[in-house]
Amino acid sequence: MADTPIIKAIGLTKVYGNLPALSDANLTVMPGEVRALIGSNGAGKSTLIKILTGAVSPTLGRVQLNGETAPLGDPSEMIRRGVACIYQHSNLAPAMSVLDNMFLGRQRAYRFGLLDRRRQRKEALALLEKHAIDLDLDATVANLPTVKQKEVEIMKALALDARAILMDEPTGWLAASEVAKLHATIRALKGRGVGIVYISHMLDEIFAVCDTMTIMRDGKVIAESAVADIDRPRVVALMVGEKLARESAQATHQKRQPRGTGEVRLSAKNLTKRGVFRDISFDLHAGEIFCITGLIGSKRTELIRTFFGSDRFDSGTLEVEGKSVAFRGPTQAIAHGIGFVPEDRHREGLMLDMSMTENLAMATLNRFHRAGLISLRKMVEAGKRSIANLSIQPPDGKRPVRLLSGGNQQKVLVGKWLNLGPRIIILDEPTVGVDVGAKAEIYAILRAERDRGAAVLVVSSDLEEVMTVADRIGVMAAGRLKAVHDADKTGMDEIVREIGGDA
Amino acid sequence: MNIRPATFALIVFFAAILAFFCIFAPRFATPSTFENLMAGFSFVAILAIGQSFPILTRGIDLSIGAIVAVVGMVTFDLSLIFHLPGYIILPIALLVGTLAGAINGLLIVYLRLQPFIATLATLATYRGLVYAISGRQLVPGLSTTPISDKWITGLENYYDVGGWLGLSKLIGMPWFPLSFFVMLGLFALFQIILLGTRFGRDVHTVGGNFEAARLAGINTGRIIIAAYAISGFCAGVAALLLVARLTTSTEALGFGMELTAIAAAVIGGVSLAGGVGSVFGPALGAFFLGVVLLGLTQMGISQYVQQIITGAILLAAVGYDRLLVLRRQRRVTANISQVAADG
Repeated sequence: MADTPIIKAIGLTKVYGNLPALSDANLTVMPGEVRALIGSNGAGKSTLIKILTGAVSPTLGRVQLNGETAPLGDPSEMIRRGVACIYQHSNLAPAMSVLDNMFLGRQRAYRFGLLDRRRQRKEALALLEKHAIDLDLDATVANLPTVKQKEVEIMKALALDARAILMDEPTGWLAASEVAKLHATIRALKGRGVGIVYISHMLDEIFAVCDTMTIMRDGKVIAESAVADIDRPRVVALMVGEKLARESAQATHQKRQPRGTGEVRLSAKNLTKRGVFRDISFDLHAGEIFCITGLIGSKRTELIRTFFGSDRFDSGTLEVEGKSVAFRGPTQAIAHGIGFVPEDRHREGLMLDMSMTENLAMATLNRFHRAGLISLRKMVEAGKRSIANLSIQPPDGKRPVRLLSGGNQQKVLVGKWLNLGPRIIILDEPTVGVDVGAKAEIYAILRAERDRGAAVLVVSSDLEEVMTVADRIGVMAAGRLKAVHDADKTGMDEIVREIGGDA
Repeated sequence: MNIRPATFALIVFFAAILAFFCIFAPRFATPSTFENLMAGFSFVAILAIGQSFPILTRGIDLSIGAIVAVVGMVTFDLSLIFHLPGYIILPIALLVGTLAGAINGLLIVYLRLQPFIATLATLATYRGLVYAISGRQLVPGLSTTPISDKWITGLENYYDVGGWLGLSKLIGMPWFPLSFFVMLGLFALFQIILLGTRFGRDVHTVGGNFEAARLAGINTGRIIIAAYAISGFCAGVAALLLVARLTTSTEALGFGMELTAIAAAVIGGVSLAGGVGSVFGPALGAFFLGVVLLGLTQMGISQYVQQIITGAILLAAVGYDRLLVLRRQRRVTANISQVAADG
């Protein structure tokens, strides 16, 4: 029994149109194994997972579950055979109770479909007890904090009595202590013989919790290894290819320029928004990259939104190039030469169905006017220049943004603002969900902007990113700016201490 | 089962508006007003109950007024042209309504049409169909012949409930129309289905998070088709009650009723964002509209002003729904920061 793999995927291939998203991929998961699945964006991880959950049927290949060949392309069939998935994005019905969500689509019922709530509750309580998770079954999911919602998703998978659980970036929105808790749960599951596929961009997590790894690139499985037999540089090199790995290694040895040219572009003094943040004071200089880091919920996003005029502050002063301002909307901020790249590129940043060229031109449309009409030719030319400058792949301006990988979408979004030639550019989590290679490219773009003399303000939770790119680092906790450091005079451990701090 | 704030607000508003008219509208607090209310708005409540299902799946059904007309005309034709007995006509009529609704669902699921567009198209199609099959046009002289089948006309009946219970000796009690009890029956049936069955939970899930429902293995297509079929079925019931009242049917039967039903459902707290609501609210919402309209009429306020007020009520209800959605989102954000602060 122990020798039969829980999941054995053989020769999976998926072709969209004429683009192969996955070619001839194999994946094996044994009982009690935690297998990391890693690779850049667009490497085919998601497609592989979607095939295993039945959301997508492959063009070629087959999947054996516990030694039996499973019919593919039917979610309910995969669930029945014990494959559960915790998705990157929430898959709960927010207006329903925790209990209802745990049994989503598989409500225990008597005849005529009448619900057997007593049995459901009993099973749910037994599960909660077994896994030592504390949840109010009658609470409405929308009222729960994100971490609790994640637990509901895990319970939903456990309620299936799943033999295999696929986890797609399960820690994306969790704080460090919650990540540890999730990992404890994973180890407990592993002890009970559950097979786990763990997808994450966070190499730390993979080395902490996984036994084996499958590395993908360009739709192919390029390496398999036990985690113990491989080191990080090797993993990164395999993921992104040798050339990019070398470049990103070089990038970390850049020179820091705290306070840049010394010219103050943006200055906050005792900035306060009641119940959100208070007493924020700092200066942002031309020619520097200032990173604000902290835990999720430390109000970094709320703070920078007031810089861009999409939110208001209550008291304190904000000066842009020496003039006191209180923006009543983004339009005014843009007029002062401020560009803003929001965190959620799908919801707040990009028109997914419009082309790259149109997206790139969106903030600067009035430049392409001729007699009140937009000159398409000028716009296409400008688009071409941006695409070349930012090395967006593929370099086809007509392609809808939806079809680009996460990293390239982010480059389009950044490029849209760079076209304005902003004097201050603010970015919120610029590399969330972006692969290692594209990250290095985005860092290069930010450095180029800095060297051009722009003031760059970055909000980031990714400490590696902060240590790589920042000239100065500000740490926020619970709505206050706790400390500001020159990046060349501080270390990761000091920052980590302050982030956790007495918050 | 805890009462949601939207439902609670509606009950309070309903009581308040009822009290208002009882005090300020002349001759409002009389048995005959309440008889009119029940006779005139039970079928609206039935339509609203049916409408809840498409809205719960995050859709909408604009075609129910036209389905009412189709079912009405089918009943008319079967009775007056084909002289079929009522006990055969009634199930056929209900089947026609259900099928018309199911077609909406099929269009939405298999042609992947937006519910708004699909049902707008069938609204026009069904309305046209009514003219095509109208016995009034096809057979000369029928337009003045009343339907006299006992099975159908028997649907328009009143019961002296107060007299049986002996309450009439204490206060003046209205006679209860049969349509009111039909409404109560459907309300009970669909409330149990929504809250107590797997199908009902699945309807909520599909409307609350479609992708989650699909990935949980719920047959989303079947749920959506069933939701529109239920809406069609309720339109069929409402049509029969109307035909029984009028003892005939017209091409314009049910005209504009889809908007009243949607208004009642939204006033009743069924969220247009999907996945939130029950059928209690819509039923109460229909009578809420009824109280307002009857009350304003008795206060001598013109039809046109009444329409403006109805519109204002609908706006307020949609605004309130929106507020609740926003508050739900804000609470999530607040919770996140709470956790971060604790951590």
